[in-house]
Amino acid sequence: MSFVSNSTGSFFTRSLAQMADLRGAIERTQTQIATGQRIARGSDDPAAAAQLRDVQRRTALADAESDNAAQLGQELGAASDELEAVTALLQRARELAVQAASEPSGPDAHRAIGIELEQLSQELFARANAAGPGGTPLFAGLASGPAFTRDAGGVVSYAGTPGSAAVTVAPGTAIERGLPGDAVFTFELGGAPTSAFAVLGGLAAVLAGGAPDPAEAARGALAGLDAALDTAGRAQTILGTRMAWVDQVQQQQAERGIALAERRSRLGDTDIAEAIARLQQSLTALEASQAAFARVSALTLFDALR
Amino acid sequence: MPTAIFSIGRSGLGATRASLELTAQNIANAANADYARRSLTQGELVLTGSIGINAVDALGGVRPGAITRAESALVQRQARDASSALAAADAEYIALREAETALEGAGLFGALVGFEAALTGLAADPLEPALRIAALEGARQLAGNFRLADETLAGARSRVQDEASAAVSEVNALAQELAAVNRDLVGAREGTAGRAALLDARDKALRGLAEQLAITPVINANGTADVAIAGTPPTPLVSGPSAQSLAISFAAEGTASLAVGGAGLILAGGAIAGRIDALTGIAGLQTELDGLAAGLIAIANSAQAAGVDADGAPGLPLFAGTGAGDLEVTLGSAQGLATAPAGAPAGSRDSANLAALLADLGAPTGPAALADALLLGLSSRVAALDIRRDGLGVVAASAEAELLRETGVDLDVEAANLVRLQQAFEANSRVIQVAADIFDTLLGLR
Repeated sequence: MSFVSNSTGSFFTRSLAQMADLRGAIERTQTQIATGQRIARGSDDPAAAAQLRDVQRRTALADAESDNAAQLGQELGAASDELEAVTALLQRARELAVQAASEPSGPDAHRAIGIELEQLSQELFARANAAGPGGTPLFAGLASGPAFTRDAGGVVSYAGTPGSAAVTVAPGTAIERGLPGDAVFTFELGGAPTSAFAVLGGLAAVLAGGAPDPAEAARGALAGLDAALDTAGRAQTILGTRMAWVDQVQQQQAERGIALAERRSRLGDTDIAEAIARLQQSLTALEASQAAFARVSALTLFDALR
Repeated sequence: MPTAIFSIGRSGLGATRASLELTAQNIANAANADYARRSLTQGELVLTGSIGINAVDALGGVRPGAITRAESALVQRQARDASSALAAADAEYIALREAETALEGAGLFGALVGFEAALTGLAADPLEPALRIAALEGARQLAGNFRLADETLAGARSRVQDEASAAVSEVNALAQELAAVNRDLVGAREGTAGRAALLDARDKALRGLAEQLAITPVINANGTADVAIAGTPPTPLVSGPSAQSLAISFAAEGTASLAVGGAGLILAGGAIAGRIDALTGIAGLQTELDGLAAGLIAIANSAQAAGVDADGAPGLPLFAGTGAGDLEVTLGSAQGLATAPAGAPAGSRDSANLAALLADLGAPTGPAALADALLLGLSSRVAALDIRRDGLGVVAASAEAELLRETGVDLDVEAANLVRLQQAFEANSRVIQVAADIFDTLLGLR
């Protein structure tokens, strides 16, 4: 046979394949609109999928770091609150010491001051052992037990560690959780190590009785109380600086979170307007090709011949 | 000679009816993809008698000739080669896409990130029991996802292997069929409908074979086809009436190899070659996945060994196993997570050891980065195959259309033929009518 024909089977196969292509495109677009995801599987866009995985990892880590920062902020805040109370307490103790030193008061008044100082000393010990919002001691450094212990003789000693743990709050940024108790409550006085507990407890004991000249003793304790206030004040400054740092980090985290979400959306979300326009275009093409198919396939010579 | 008119008319009727039958056959097979349209050749019948130098011709009408089958060896070959290449890309694409679904669906990367995030959260308060349990459960989920990935990958592998085995059986059946067709073709008479049907069967078998493997067929003068498998080395599969048997075997790691009569060969193309390539790819993925799991085990366990747990005791291994399939958490309780460095006392909130573990996990050679690279490599390969498949699909479709144009049935042409043949039939019967009238006229002379 020499002539070349236009095979009927070829026409049907071609038309069906074209319509199946259009239908496949419509289904893909519809899935993209329904799920809001442009990429159903990695091979749809390998580079974008890899970037999305990177965003996924960064987002998960940023979430954890944001939780860490919030917790750290709370702990630093709790430590700062405790230190504020400690400062107020030490100031009150200093006032009492000045009162005991300067006013010509009798043994009863000295005893009363001594009792109040004893109470303040108890409060100081309790505050030094205070726990943060997570139930862990605020001033124990790396240790999980109480920061300070008191032995039978009433001598208070530091039971924590000299350093405290750092918490990662951003990639490459770790902020120390709190201050170890020895940096807050112990200091050197006249070249000898001592602590706020020793100064306060000693003065209370002296005033409660047993000292020949309580006023002189109170005058002597003023230097120790000043040093204790200085130390607590310095610790407060450090905590304040760290809290400001955490605030700043949290702000950066929020900004980074928005940037990550934007990146995520740009890489993986369906552009609804574009998708709907594309869907409409494909639908029009499919309808047109179905209509054309119906018209063309009806054009057979068999119908024309009667 | 009035009787000659009768026989001429009768021969015309016969030839026309034979053509009509063939047209009907073409129309009936319009939707049969393996059918090549037929046509009937016709020859003039002239009877010549001669005595000495006096030759007398008598017209004898028409003689139905041979049934010819629209044939185009070149286009057939193009269609076969194109469908072979498409089938290879298609089979590899589908198999690797399944592997991609297995690995992505197993949520390996998400679990790795989740574990990392749980450990990062634990750093905030390493002694908090809830955070410790979250980290340990993160590890358990990660181990579970590794096992799931291993399982689904094994599932994908065994499906591809089953498909390859089924394809090999199909090849053997087709080779047997082609050998049988070859045997019958030797005896079939030229120009008969039976021979045309055998040639259809031959081309169908060749197309079926080409889809599964790359072949180099040789069409002999008598219509029989000898087939060699294109590969290294080229191996005869069908020669004349005898067919060799193709065998497939699978190695322990899942890769496949082919052999004909015990001699191995490497296939050049076709769906089976695509599946064998995919199986090699899946074996590579399995190795990478196991390497990933082994890396995770090594990192986590060496970090555990380098630190002490919540009670100050040396850390015990977190994971047990050798690969993705047997990875599991072996640490009994969350207290056992060694967050503190060696030498730290019981109840230490020092998280230096945890920080070291996190640094190892997040390193550019860490599990998260390797898992990302694994997925990126696989999805890039699948995407490339998809593009290749699309391109080959266009080539194959146009080759197929070309083939159908050369050999397929055009209903409009057949309808026109029907009208033409109907008229011819009526004209021939009119000739007989005229002959009868002539006879009647002669017989009616008084």
